[in-house]
Formats: sequence, structure tokens, C-alpha cells
Amino acid sequence: MNSAIPQIPDSPPPEWRYRRALRVGTSLRELGRSRHIISGLVVRQVRSQYSQQVLGLAWAVLAPLAQMLVFTFLLNRVGNATFSTGGVPRPLFLYVGLTAWSFFSSSVSSAGSSLVGNPLLNKVYAPREVFPLSQVCSSGVDAIASTALLPLLFLVAGRWPSSTFYWFPVLVLILVTATVAIALAVSAVTVYVRDLRSGLPLILQLGLFLTPILYPVSQIPEQFRALSMAINPIAGVVDGLRACLFYNQAPDPTYTLLAAGSSVIYLVGGFLLFKRLETGFADVS
Amino acid sequence: MSPEGTVTIDHVWKRFRSDRGRRLLRDHVSRLGRRVSGREDADQWRWVLREIDFKIEPGESVGFVGSNGAGKSTLLKIISGVMFPHTGRVAVEGRIGALIEVASGIHPELTGKENISVFGTLLGLGKSELGRKYDEIVAFAELEDAINRQVKFYSSGMKTRLGFAIAAFLEPSVLIVDEVLAVGDQMFQQKCLDRMRTVLHSGTTLLLVSHDLAAVGATASRAIWLADGTMQADGPVDEVLAGYRTAIEKEAASKIELEGEIRISNFTTFGGSGGAITTSGPCSVSFDVTAPQGKHANFFIGVSQGAATPIFAVRKEGIRVSEGETHVAVDFAGIPLPAGGYFIWFAAFEVKTGREITPWQPIGPLLVEGGRLLDATPKAIVRLSPVFVEAQWTVSD
Repeated sequence: MNSAIPQIPDSPPPEWRYRRALRVGTSLRELGRSRHIISGLVVRQVRSQYSQQVLGLAWAVLAPLAQMLVFTFLLNRVGNATFSTGGVPRPLFLYVGLTAWSFFSSSVSSAGSSLVGNPLLNKVYAPREVFPLSQVCSSGVDAIASTALLPLLFLVAGRWPSSTFYWFPVLVLILVTATVAIALAVSAVTVYVRDLRSGLPLILQLGLFLTPILYPVSQIPEQFRALSMAINPIAGVVDGLRACLFYNQAPDPTYTLLAAGSSVIYLVGGFLLFKRLETGFADVS
Repeated sequence: MSPEGTVTIDHVWKRFRSDRGRRLLRDHVSRLGRRVSGREDADQWRWVLREIDFKIEPGESVGFVGSNGAGKSTLLKIISGVMFPHTGRVAVEGRIGALIEVASGIHPELTGKENISVFGTLLGLGKSELGRKYDEIVAFAELEDAINRQVKFYSSGMKTRLGFAIAAFLEPSVLIVDEVLAVGDQMFQQKCLDRMRTVLHSGTTLLLVSHDLAAVGATASRAIWLADGTMQADGPVDEVLAGYRTAIEKEAASKIELEGEIRISNFTTFGGSGGAITTSGPCSVSFDVTAPQGKHANFFIGVSQGAATPIFAVRKEGIRVSEGETHVAVDFAGIPLPAGGYFIWFAAFEVKTGREITPWQPIGPLLVEGGRLLDATPKAIVRLSPVFVEAQWTVSD
């Protein structure tokens, strides 16, 4: 039996400080191996959310539908909105934007609270990214459900999606990239700045009005348009979605490239920030 | 690379921020900024682990003991990869399985069956592995009838059984067990121990944290004693536990301050003809009692090993205590205790009303000398109390 080490200094030599070398490849491979953990968490979230509800997953469709109706009513009757949708019925016009935005905002807000106070974080080892990512995926399930309603809405409106709708997957990819980026960053920062938990709904609400969801991009003053696309990839995505679904056009190349570029930059930044902050999650959470 | 199941802890230090109460948003933001930039800050830190350094070979079973706040759980969290050390290096070869407070992984809205698949994947069981073990898990948790029911309708015992059963069927190279031996009823505990023994026999490294020293003694072959974040001792389980127990008792002895209306003085213990107390030898405990108002009381005297649960206790009814000193002596003919440090506990109750005069508390140490130690028990059989009984074996054809 070794008896106690006689003298232990008050603090370790500073050069012993543990610095985790960030290996992006290794982290991504580990994340890839944790696919089944993410899918397990998604199943758990979706099932627990909708089990015991009579309407179940139908709520994923009802919520954006109701939102669409409310905003249509507000814009028509109360707001006296004058902008033109280019002949597209206003509810349909809104539905596309609202679906994209709901995916983004529900992902970010649920990811924001996915680490703080998560009992699993302290108990089970898994790459930390799985918690915010699984929230994004759960919101994705809802988004798929509400997208599935889109053909029906086109049918009711008596029109067909434009033949350019093959751009759709590209735009969804940009949307997902941006959403994952912001979700990672917000979840990590919330661990340290808890105020973000209360502030986030406000910021997202504001975002809904600053992004051309309830109005076309043409409502943004010309000189700010490119800047707003560069800062907010969702704006470019929504504009592109409308172009390819309604107007038989390819998405505006400038806007789409700006959105794609900024979302990739956000993703790299968000991931690095997450990795940087990750080492302290279990200590403060 | 070391073989699977090796755990190497190399100069690990860990600190937490000491809480300074309320903080401003500005503090949080600047703290975040320092985290991102990696600069050192001027905050107050409290070291919870200092200079932890050991290596565990594959197949070893190691118990971690120490008082609350000594850093045991933090150390296990660092080993399992949930927390990052401040300095040093942690290397674990092979898959880690943790049998920790498992209820947190169970989701109340899901059925037992759904929980098995979801929590199982979370713990690292693959899909095919889960499929193969599903029936075994259900049978182990004794939940055959309730498996399709939502977990929120389970009793708390059923919930813990479910959580434990899922975790128990991991086949890790390193198994971490943090205070879960107190789960469920006696039957289930026995099952858990059996399961742990099976896992151990298959060559898994076991890391066990428990305040139940008897359980540590029975399960682990090596023990590490943590005190105030440092390694106090590391060695064969019996030696380390003996050292730890002695320390607990020394500390308790220094704190004795009798509550209640009865005062005790001149506490002594002695063995045959006033000498040392030895295993199976005579033992006397004597002390003087006084009570300012005069009492008519029933006395209890017990012997314990650290915890409040006595190994045995004796009672004497109707003792009259007055303002003057009353001398009390208890003689035990043969004290059935192996060598080691123990504690004498005392309580007094009023004869008529049954009212508590002096609550159950330690009043002094009892040291048993001599080389008589308990024989080893079979692995993973929990020893409840160390009672030494002379035994004569006769083995014949």
C-alpha cells in the first residue's frame, strides 16, 4: 500500500494544463459512429411528444396550417398588406416560408435547451453534438410532415408546382446547414449564458419579421437585399424556394450563393465554437 | 497500446469554480469570452481532484472509498469521458459501461419496451445486440407483464429495475458502478451482484464507488481511498479499508460531544485483566453517568464499525441516574470481532414514557488488537457485519 504522496502543491504546474487538440476528422468520425444515438434520441423525443395525444403526429401539420391561416387573416384584414405575390394565393405563399422558418426556429430553440439541465449529459458519454443535432432532427420530422401537405395545398389552390422544383433539395440542404450551425452555437453558448434561454424566443420572433417570410424579398430595400441574404441564409433559401416552386425560375444565383456561403461559414464557426466550449459543459451544466 | 480494459490516470487535476452567488450577465459573457480564447482568469477555483495518478490493469476490480465530496464521482466522470480533466491524461482502452444512477435515462412517457431500445442505444448497445438481449433484459428486470406500459405508470422499484437491467447487459471492457447497490429489494440486489460477478468473470475491469464498505470489501480486490481530492492510499482492499475506517473513527472520536440530559465521563474500555482487547476475548466498557434532574432510564450500548448501524447492541432496563456519578460497566464475555477499530454507541430512554433522553450516538472508541482477521468471502457476496466466529473444519472422504 502506497501511503499518501507526502507533499502536493496547491495547484499543478501550469504547463500540465490539459489542452484538448481538436481533430476535426476524429470528431466527425466519432459523430458518425453515434448515428444510432441520435436516432434513438429522435425516436424518444418524437414518441414522447406525440404519444397519448389523440391527434399525434397530425399536430405537426396542423400547427403550420393554423399559422398560415392566422397570418393570412392578419395580412389581409388587419394589415391591409399591399405587396404582390405574383399571382400565388397568399396562404400558399406564406406556407412555404413558414414551414422553412418553423423548422429553423424550433430547431434552434429546442437545441438551445438541449444541453442545459440535461440529466444525460452528466451520466452517459456520447459526443456532445448528438443532443442539439437530435433536436434538429426532431424538428426535421415535423418539417417533413408539413412539407408533405404542400402538394395538397397546391391542389386546393388549383395550380401545379413549377417545373423548376428540382432546385428544392439544394435549398433544403442550405437550410439544414444553416440550422445545424446556429443550433450548435446557441446550444453551447446557452450553457454559459443562461439568459439566452429566456432571450431566445424573443430573438427568434424578431427574426421571423426580419426574414422575408411574411412578405417577398422585393419588400426589402434594394441596397440592403444582398447584405440581408449574406447575414441571414434563411432569407435566400425562402426566396429560392418561392422562385423554384411558384415562378418557374431557378433560384437567384447571387442570393443562393450568398446563402450557401454564409451557411457554410456559420457551420464551421458553430462547430468550432461548440468544440471549444464543450470541455466545460459537464462542469457548469 | 495497452490491452483492452486498462485504465491509465496520469497526473489528473480538476477544479470547479467556487460559487460566488449571483452573477451579472456581464460576468457570464466575459467568462464565455475567456473560454473561447482560452485565457486564464482570475476567478476563485476550488480543487476537487489533485494529483490523481494510477493505473488499473485489465480484469482488476477497484473500489473507490472516501467521504462525501472527496471527489470519487468526479473522478469516475472523468474516467467515463463525461468530464474533462484540468491537467493530466486519462486513457481507457475499450468500451466503457457505466452503471450510474440510471433513472435519469428512462423517459416516463415511453413504454418499457421503447425505453429499452432507446436507452440501450444511448448506453452504446448496437441494434442487433439489443435484439439478441431484449428477452434477457426484460426477464432480468422482472417486467414481463408491464413491458408495454408507459414507464410513468411503473412503481419506482420497477423503474430502477428497468434502468439497471439495461445497463447490466452492456458488455463493456471497463464497468463503472456508482452507488447502485442499494437498488431494489433483497432479491433484486442479489441478482445484481450475481450479474456483476458474471461480468467480472468475463474479464471486465470494475470500478466501484460505494459508501457501503462491506460491499467494496467483498467485490473489489484493490481500493483507492480519496480524501479531499487527493489519493490517500492505494493498495489491497483490506488494508485500505482498514486505514479508512480508522480515520473515520478517529474523526468521529474527535467530534464527540454528547447531546441530551445525561452526561458521560471517564469512558474506558479494557480486555481481560485490564489489558488489550483481543478477538473472542473478554471486553469491558465502563463509564460514569450523571443527570442534573435525576432519571430512570433504559440504556442501550452498541458496537459499530463507522456507520450508525451497530454490529450488535445490548440493553439494560431501569437504571437510576442521579446528580451524583453512577458507575456503569458492561462486560462482554467473548467479543466476536476481528482486529480493527470500532465504536461504542449509546442511547438512553425514559422508562415510563419511552421518551428519548440521549439519542443514539457514539461515545468512544473500541480497539480490538491481535492478528485475527476475517476469512475472505466468495466474490460479490456482501458481508453485512464483521463478526468473528471460531470455526473448526473437518474434511473427510
